[in-house]
Amino acid sequence: MPDYNKPIPTYDTTTNKPYWDGAKEGKFMLPRCTSCNRSHFYPRIVCPNCGSRDIVWEQATGEGYLHTFAVQHRSFGGWGEETPFVTAYIDLKEGDRVFTVLRGVDPEKPEEIMKKIGSLCRVEFDEASDEISVPYWRVVE
Amino acid sequence: MPNNPSRAAAIVAAAEADQIGYLETPKTDMMLGVEAIHNVCKMAGITTKDIEGFANPGNANNYAEYFGVVPKWVDTTAVGGCSFQIHVAHMLAAINAGMFDIGVVVNGQAGYSRRNLPRGSGGGGGGDTTGPDSQFMAPYGIAGAPSQYSHAMTRHMHDYGTTKEDFAQIAVSTRKWAGLNPRAVMHSKETNPNGGPIEVSDVLNSRLISWPLNLLDVCLVTDHGGAVLVASEAAARSFRSKPVWVAGAGEAIGHATMLEMKDFTATSAIASGNRAYKMAGMGPEDMEMAMIYDSFTVTVGITVEMLGLAGRGEFPSLFENGAAAPGGSFPINTNGGGLSFNHSGMYGMQLLVESYRQLSGTAEDGVNGLPGKQTDAEVCLVNGTGGSLSATGTLVLTAD
Repeated sequence: MPDYNKPIPTYDTTTNKPYWDGAKEGKFMLPRCTSCNRSHFYPRIVCPNCGSRDIVWEQATGEGYLHTFAVQHRSFGGWGEETPFVTAYIDLKEGDRVFTVLRGVDPEKPEEIMKKIGSLCRVEFDEASDEISVPYWRVVE
Repeated sequence: MPNNPSRAAAIVAAAEADQIGYLETPKTDMMLGVEAIHNVCKMAGITTKDIEGFANPGNANNYAEYFGVVPKWVDTTAVGGCSFQIHVAHMLAAINAGMFDIGVVVNGQAGYSRRNLPRGSGGGGGGDTTGPDSQFMAPYGIAGAPSQYSHAMTRHMHDYGTTKEDFAQIAVSTRKWAGLNPRAVMHSKETNPNGGPIEVSDVLNSRLISWPLNLLDVCLVTDHGGAVLVASEAAARSFRSKPVWVAGAGEAIGHATMLEMKDFTATSAIASGNRAYKMAGMGPEDMEMAMIYDSFTVTVGITVEMLGLAGRGEFPSLFENGAAAPGGSFPINTNGGGLSFNHSGMYGMQLLVESYRQLSGTAEDGVNGLPGKQTDAEVCLVNGTGGSLSATGTLVLTAD
């Protein structure tokens, strides 16, 4: 078992199975509706944009842009040992948004991170358990 | 508006639990709520057996049973801290439809006592481990509401050039009101070692919780019980206490999880506010004071913009020159707010109690006879925000 002391999401064998199976292989998977051709997140069995159930899973670019962030000075468990750390929302290239702990920035300099809003970010994965690898996003420009 | 329910009902009394704040002897949620209901009935000159409708987030049935009442109507809408504004909206519609004449909206919440009570006697509940929060938020170290609301504040600063100082002004203004309210936790050094007046520098130098939020940008965690009675127009003048009319009411849900918040500088208060204004036949220019949910300074900043009290990005205009503070032209959060008066987790009840007190003119606290009249306002805008800037309920209340 990997040495991972942060909360590990429950391996969901229903709606989110392709997401976690993809993450295990280092792929960032997104659901896309073949009726309206739009991707969405969080994953659903009904498209939140048009109401269709014609959903397919595809490997996404794994790239997006920093939308906003915060620096967490108080947390619990494994994350409690990491403070301060930066959390962020990323606008995916395919559309819609994810939440993450952001890498590639200095939590002691939030004013500098502010200048990075809109910057390109890329996903990477940490092996957390035999079933789950957790996606993290990193500012790359 | 067909069959407009505007002023079909009034809030006819508002009261709190016997004690609120940091209780030395722990009380449960239910005890605090039961005390508040008993006190509000005493204020109105009725008995608890006269109540026909019960509203509470999740527990309306339990409150009715506690008082041995078989209610004609219940509402257990639970969408966070604004549930109580929405309960009043639902009561207004139900009363307008003739379903009942006298109802109570109640909350008891042992926000502080909970830590000294056995597990399960407070609140909360198990999560769905396959839900979006568990799967895509919890793995990343989020620690309650402040760790999420901070992201909205960052984006507001980015989009509009507002600063931490601008938001800190909200905390400073609100603390001034607390200084006039002897029931406020942060009223003075006598009520709390950290009480008494604060300045912008105090906010900025307080401990960082989730940048850009510092400790003094964040609400208290205290005990509270509160209840308001709502009655039909026909019944409203039959009580010992005065009616305050529900002129407008609106509700709106922007999202449930923050992942779905499209614009981090906007909430559904723009929709719930417009619904309330339309029902009342009034607009922001007609408001004379406001009670705005202040879980965090950022909640107030965004909400006043949504309600048309300030332009987008222009909330500082209400706070930097003291307009919202004691003696100012547009009082906001006259009880001292969730920031400095009391915040038990779901603060919407405190908003209702305070807006009733100001508009009813009596302004006594309904329990201990403490004075509390701060303004001569006759129209009050009340807005609750629940969840992660998710749900909102807006009321326009008018004096008799």
